[in-house]
Amino acid sequence: MIIILDIFLNTLDVFPRAALLTLRLTVTSLLLGCFIGLIIAFFRISSNKLLNYVATVYIGLIRGTPLIVQIAILYFGIASIVTFSQFWAGALALAIHNGAYIAEIFRGAIQAVDRGQMEAARSLGMSYPLAMRRIVLPQAFKFSIPPLGNQFIIGLKDSSLVAYVGMAELWGSGLSEAASNYRQLESYIVVGFYYLALVMLFSFLLKKLEKRMSLDTKLLD
Amino acid sequence: MITISNLVKSFGPQTVLQGIDLTVTEKEVVVIIGASGSGKSTLLRCINFLEVFDKGEISIQNKKIVPEETNLNKVREEVGMVFQHFNLFPHKNVLENIIEAPVHVKKMDKAMAAEKALQLLEKVGLRDKAYAYPSNLSGGQKQRVAIARALAMEPRIMLFDEPTSALDPELVGEVLQVMKQLAKEGMTMVVVTHEMGFAREVADRIVFMGDGKILEEGPPEQFFTNPQHAKARQFLNRVL
Repeated sequence: MIIILDIFLNTLDVFPRAALLTLRLTVTSLLLGCFIGLIIAFFRISSNKLLNYVATVYIGLIRGTPLIVQIAILYFGIASIVTFSQFWAGALALAIHNGAYIAEIFRGAIQAVDRGQMEAARSLGMSYPLAMRRIVLPQAFKFSIPPLGNQFIIGLKDSSLVAYVGMAELWGSGLSEAASNYRQLESYIVVGFYYLALVMLFSFLLKKLEKRMSLDTKLLD
Repeated sequence: MITISNLVKSFGPQTVLQGIDLTVTEKEVVVIIGASGSGKSTLLRCINFLEVFDKGEISIQNKKIVPEETNLNKVREEVGMVFQHFNLFPHKNVLENIIEAPVHVKKMDKAMAAEKALQLLEKVGLRDKAYAYPSNLSGGQKQRVAIARALAMEPRIMLFDEPTSALDPELVGEVLQVMKQLAKEGMTMVVVTHEMGFAREVADRIVFMGDGKILEEGPPEQFFTNPQHAKARQFLNRVL
């Protein structure tokens, strides 16, 4: 116990900064992931066969391979052609990964909106994109918040895997800390606490968002 | 105003419309009745192209509508529709529901659209509900808002798809009242309904459908007192 506290105090110049990097990495990749997810979700529900196929293959590949493999391929494969900063290589890999899962969340949420909503909007002369943007998506967004929150937490924890391409975020710093002080167990416990704190922060924010939305959701039929 | 000829529509192996010919003239109120599964709603949904049909032709105001070549959004601006399940936008209040399409489709000025919306609400007796959300309205109120919403686009034709079927019996009257008013004002209307009293009183013409075909049509007096087709007699015996 003393040792854990000792390590905690001795790493105050390392881990908080690493935690901040983890947070930046996560937020960047999730925002990007939402963007990718929305586009892929539209591909999935599109009547265009080609777009459909692209989305299905993308989701299939991402869900079918481990994140660590995806990170490695992106880092060593693509980064050898195009130069990314380490941060962007990691963020992009995580975004592409999360994007596939978020796409399925958005697709489900869009399809959960009653068909009559789209029909009513179209019957008033609204075009498909306008009806989607003004009528369907605002409602779908509400449906997507709980699963999206779940995915955000998973995304936060999964960001630890970019440590293996040399990024000194939380887990990466934990690894090097443990290697230099030879106190593996205690160091990892401290890292665990930082993750727990970040996840609790995320959960708190998500709960708040969900609550605010549910005030509105009461207005749903 | 609307001319439908040889309209055919299938869902998979089932042909729900087997060659429909129907003409609706200006200011006419046509009420379509028939057993469920007879194709009434599908026919109505074909008129504003919510349903893609396989064969046949629809002309609206003497313009033949070819779905692939015509801007259907423009067509739908002229053809209002009221649905069985209201389909109000739950994330918008009553006023916002009504001004949504005028503002975003017709690019009408927001204040002007709101003023017009309030007039329409006055007309359907719901001016005091302008800022209520759909979930706080009764079924009858929702349907009246839905009618006001459709009217806000100033359509030439109004389609009603079983507008009172989802309502509690005591709320049916208020919706029919609004529809009667509309008919009196000279709106061209095509109504699918099970309300025989309304059909008899308001319709200029009754269209009786069965098995995807129009089996009989004529003025309500004739249809209700002296139906010609055996299936029409059978149907009337069951519902009256």
